[in-house]
This record gives sequence, C-alpha cells and structure tokens, in this order.
Amino acid sequence: MIGVPAIGVGAARARRGLGPVAPGAAALLLAGVAAAALLADHTATVAVLAAALLLVCVRAPRARRRAYLVGTLGSAAGVLIVSPFVQSLGSHPLWSGPRLPVLGRLDITTEELSAAGTLALRLAAVGLAFTVYALLIDHDRLLSGARFARRGTLAVALATRLVPTLERDAAGLVEALRGRGIVVEGLRARVQLLSPLLAGSLERGLSLAEAMEARGYGRPGGTRLPAPAWGALDRACLVLAPAVAVAGALWL
Amino acid sequence: MAVAVASGLTYTYPGASRPALDGVSLAVEPGQLIVVLGPSSSGKSTLLRALAGLVPHFYGGRFAGSVEVGGSDTRRTRPAELAGTVACLFQDPESQVVMGRVLGEVAFGLENLGVTPAEIAPRALAALAAVGAEHLAGRPTDQLSGGELQRVCLASTLALEPRLLLLDEPTSQLDPEVAHDLLDLALALAAERGIAVVCSEQRTARVLPHAGRVLFLDQGRVRLDAPRAEALAWLAAHEPAYLPAASLGEPTRRAPGDVLCTVRDISYGYPAGPAGARAGAAVAHASLELRRGEVVALVGPNGSGKSTLAKLATGLLEPASGAVSCAGRAAYLSQDPGRYLARDRVEDEVALGVGGDRRRAHDALAAVGLEEQGDRHPRDLSSGERERLAVAAVLVTEPDVLILDEPTRGVDPVRKRQLADLIRAGSGRATLVVTHDEDLVRGVADRVLRMERGSLVAVG
Repeated sequence: MIGVPAIGVGAARARRGLGPVAPGAAALLLAGVAAAALLADHTATVAVLAAALLLVCVRAPRARRRAYLVGTLGSAAGVLIVSPFVQSLGSHPLWSGPRLPVLGRLDITTEELSAAGTLALRLAAVGLAFTVYALLIDHDRLLSGARFARRGTLAVALATRLVPTLERDAAGLVEALRGRGIVVEGLRARVQLLSPLLAGSLERGLSLAEAMEARGYGRPGGTRLPAPAWGALDRACLVLAPAVAVAGALWL
Repeated sequence: MAVAVASGLTYTYPGASRPALDGVSLAVEPGQLIVVLGPSSSGKSTLLRALAGLVPHFYGGRFAGSVEVGGSDTRRTRPAELAGTVACLFQDPESQVVMGRVLGEVAFGLENLGVTPAEIAPRALAALAAVGAEHLAGRPTDQLSGGELQRVCLASTLALEPRLLLLDEPTSQLDPEVAHDLLDLALALAAERGIAVVCSEQRTARVLPHAGRVLFLDQGRVRLDAPRAEALAWLAAHEPAYLPAASLGEPTRRAPGDVLCTVRDISYGYPAGPAGARAGAAVAHASLELRRGEVVALVGPNGSGKSTLAKLATGLLEPASGAVSCAGRAAYLSQDPGRYLARDRVEDEVALGVGGDRRRAHDALAAVGLEEQGDRHPRDLSSGERERLAVAAVLVTEPDVLILDEPTRGVDPVRKRQLADLIRAGSGRATLVVTHDEDLVRGVADRVLRMERGSLVAVG
C-alpha cells in the first residue's frame, strides 16, 4: 500500500504552486481571466487583471520566471511603442512627425496612445496567464485529470517546457562559442543562433517522440494514474471561469 | 524460444548512400546479455532501434530481411505495440523524459500499456525502489542530475516488465562513477528478472565481464558474434583497444616550459539558477599554474567544482575574488558536444573558430578522423563523431592554453587512443583535462590535481 501515501505526497506537492486549487480548475480559471482580459472594454479592468496575474507570477522562482516575464512584458512594451505609429485613430494629436512611404504621416494621438495601452495590457495579461500556467501548474496532474483532449494537453505541456530548454541551450551555445574565441555580440550575432537553437529543439522533439513511441504512446486502450477528486473550491473555479469571461465581455 | 530474432537484416536510412546495417542475423535468448561493440557509426544504435521496431517505423528508409520480437514481425507491428515486450534506455536522459514529475514519468509507460489504474502507482513506485530512486518520486524531473534522471529512465523501462531490454550507451552522458553504478544496477536487475539484454557500450571494462555473448559491428556488418571467452581472444588479436585492460599509452613527461596560465586564489559562487540549479560556493581559494608543454589532469567527484574552475581559467566566468592571467589564446571544450552544432556543414562548424579558414578546418578534422565528413550536417553525425567534431572545433584555434572538459564521453576506444595522442602532441601549449576517465589520466597526465568541495586538495 505504499502507493497511496506517495500519491498523496505527490498531489500535495503538486498543488503547492497555486495553493489548494487543482491544476485543471486553475487552468480553467486562468483561461477565463485571459478571455476576460481580451474581451473587456475598459483599460482599467484589463490593468487590474494583468496586475493580479503579475502578483501570482511572483510566486514562481525568480530564475524560472525571468525569461517569461522578459518575453511577456517586452512584447507588451513593443506593442505600446509601435501601435500608435501604425494606427490612425482620434483627433487629439500629441505629436506630429514626418510622412513616410506606406505608413503615411507619423503622428500620435491621445486615442491611439490609449488604444495602444489597452492592447499592450491585453497582451501582457494573456502572457502572464500563460506564465502562471507554465510555472505554477503541475502539468502531470493536469494530464491525469484531463477527461478529454489528453493528447492536446500533453502536447501543450511538452511545448511549455521549450522556454527553459531553449534558454539553457542558448546559454550553452554562447558559452561554447566563447570557449572557441568567438564573440557573440549584437543583435545579428544573436539572431544567427536562432537557427541552431530551432534545429536543436526539433532534434530533441524527434528524440522525445521516439522515446514516447518506444514506451507505448499511441497504443489503444491506455489508462491513467488516478487523480485526486475535485473539491468544492475546484468546482467553484469551474463555475467562476466562464463567469469571469462573460463578465469581461458584457460588463467590464 | 528466442526473445528476438533478426535474419539478414539490411537497413539504409533515408538519403544515406550505404546501409547502416548489412545482412545482420542475430538471435537473443531469454536472460542473455549481449554486448554490442564497434566504432562510431558502425550500426550499433541502429541495430538496437531495429530490435525495438523503431527502425523502420520511426525513421523510414529501406529495410530488408526480418526482425521478430516476442513472435511479432516488426514490419507489421508498431513500436508502441512492442512496448512491454521490449524496452529501451537511450543515451541522453533529457531527451527521454516526457512528464514533469518522477512518479508521472515512470507511470507514463504503464498508462500507455493499459495497466489498471489502481496498479499503476504501486508498480511505478516498486520500479523506482528497485533502482534506489523511491525518494525521488515527488521530485520535478527538471531538477534531477543526469545520473538521477537516467536512473528514473531505467525505472521507467523496468516498470514495463519487458522480456528484452535494449541499452543504447545509456551511460555515455554520465560521469564514470555514476555510469558504473547505473550499469551494474541495470545488468543485475535484468539478470535477477531473467530479462534478455542487448547493450551497446563504449566503456567495455564495465560490461564485458557480465557479457554472455559479444557482437562486434563494423560498417553495419557483424565481424564477430561469439561467447565472451572466445570474443576476448578475438578482440586481443583484432581489436585490442576494446579490451578492458587496453592502455592509452604513457604521458610524454617532457620538461615543462614557461607559465602560460596562472590562477591565483580565486573563488566563485553560482547564483540559484533555472530549475533550482546549484547555488553557493563552487570554487574556493583555488590556485594553479599551467606550463607550456605539460598536460595537467583535474579530477574529483561530481559537483566538486572542476568544470567551474576550468571555465574560470578560460575566462568564461569571472571570479568573485582572486585573479586569472593567461598568456596567449585560451580555448575551452564543453562537456556537451551538442553545443558545437552552430553551422550547417561540419567543415564550416570547425572553420567558424578560424575566420572561415577551410584548410585549417580540414586539417583539424583530419586530426580527429573526420576529414571525410566535412560536407555532412553536424546533426547527422553519431554521438561519438559529434564529440570528435567538438574537439576539432576547439583544436583548430591552436590555443596556447587548452582546457578539455570530459573529452572522452561517448568516444569509442580506438578514437579515445587517438585523442590521447592528440593531447600528448601539444608541446607548444598548456593543457588542462577535466576528467573522470582514469585511463585517460594515466595515459596523458604529467600532473594530477584533485578537487573536493570547491578546493584543490591534492597534487600528484
């Protein structure tokens, strides 16, 4: 009977990431919050949702969350900066610049800035929701609990591991190049690393697929490790997730 | 009745000009341990993949002859359906791990086989207990060391209760101490359970004493298939480098010249890294000198700070205190040959370190026996060839201070001897070899330094 307490320990540890909420329920709630952020009209609402998700992200270990936060917040900042220049919105100019081919006159209006802020916050909220999913949800328990789309859940869980793996591969590649006296500086040099990194991740993916097939993946009649039953809080999340999304679409 | 039978097996990978396996016939009896030897790219891994059904299903290519495993013809049975009868342990543990936690990882195969849910956890835990890893059950897989991870992978294969266990150089990515334990454990457990084992392994001293039969492959053909005693006699006559007691030669013991690298009282500590990587002091108040013409071996247990000291000496890491000075160019060979795959051609990869000079790149490739592979994509090389490519990529820069971090991992015995010759030949440079390989230390080191818990504790 050693299996039962060990599963209990595993489950307790697995649940530590997002407190007492089961991974499946937490994933649904995150999806609801992300949908609300995408559907809400008010910038303040989106900002509150993004801030709440950022607070949750802080629970992840600093070294692991860094890449996700840099990627998410960097992309959001990019949208905030670029978006006003490519939009043509509003009648309250804050700055007027030169006329460029294709883009026309460069200018920034108050309305464009506000729309860019909302877009950036939406992107940040979705990125932060993914960060919470990637770093604080136990994907094994999520997979065990998945009653449908099990293959899809596994594929997403494996894809989620790509970020830290790529980060580690990139650091190793740069170190090996430096060890040969090759300096990796500047955007161009770093962009040149993308191809070997992508090839490396594809190769890793093939090796993993081979190992999975060798362990019977894809064979009909599979079973699964029993997952703990959902509690009241988990069931509340199940109701809350669509409610948050609908509220975002209709009232927020 | 044989667990697996290969008859006239000939297989060519898609796009390859010659077969990886050429007319191989083999029968694996229950409980038998067959050790497969041979140089890099001789077809060892391909043979194991054919026995698992992965060749041809997973790779495609041209397949002739037949392979039957547990009475099923692999041409008509998918590898997933053979799982349970046959189980594989591959070279790189990181590329085999599917799940985020250890218990889930071991349970993964059992779930696929359709084991009753109530039985999955007890069987997974029993397999973990058998390999001494029960305490890891709740741990995230990305926080395990290479040795721990490969132990978990071994548990994953044993949990399936296979009749045939295929070990494809399962210790090539591990340090020798860990590798020794893992191989002993795998072979002992297989013997105890009556599992037939086919094991490809370059560390012959570890496996040959246990072997019932030895197979020697060369260019896809079986040159030897004989019981152990007969095989040892054949190896002594034809391939002595593969004998467990084979020597890598003697150090040159030339008089050391001027000091090329000075490390004075340096200390370094890692911040907590991704996935809870190690934190704390890795090197404490270490000092050493490397002189022209000498080869110094740096030995010590895992985690003692050897690689960190090597990186500090090369300038890849900045010491927190103390000073490092090197006269001339310093070069560092990483433990992981997968980091030397930045270009699309082998020759271009090597030429990268010398401003695209292809003549020098060709010479460096010739020095490691890869001159014929210059046009290939580095990712098409076998693991042993990748290791040699990495050595060529570093040697081509003709460094004054050469630092090699575990250069013999996955390298076949003949190439290992060539590597030892290359290391000894460096009369104009100072060489530091970080290694667990005692044969290499005996064969090349003029001086031996030992590290323990971040400090250099002994000089021999």
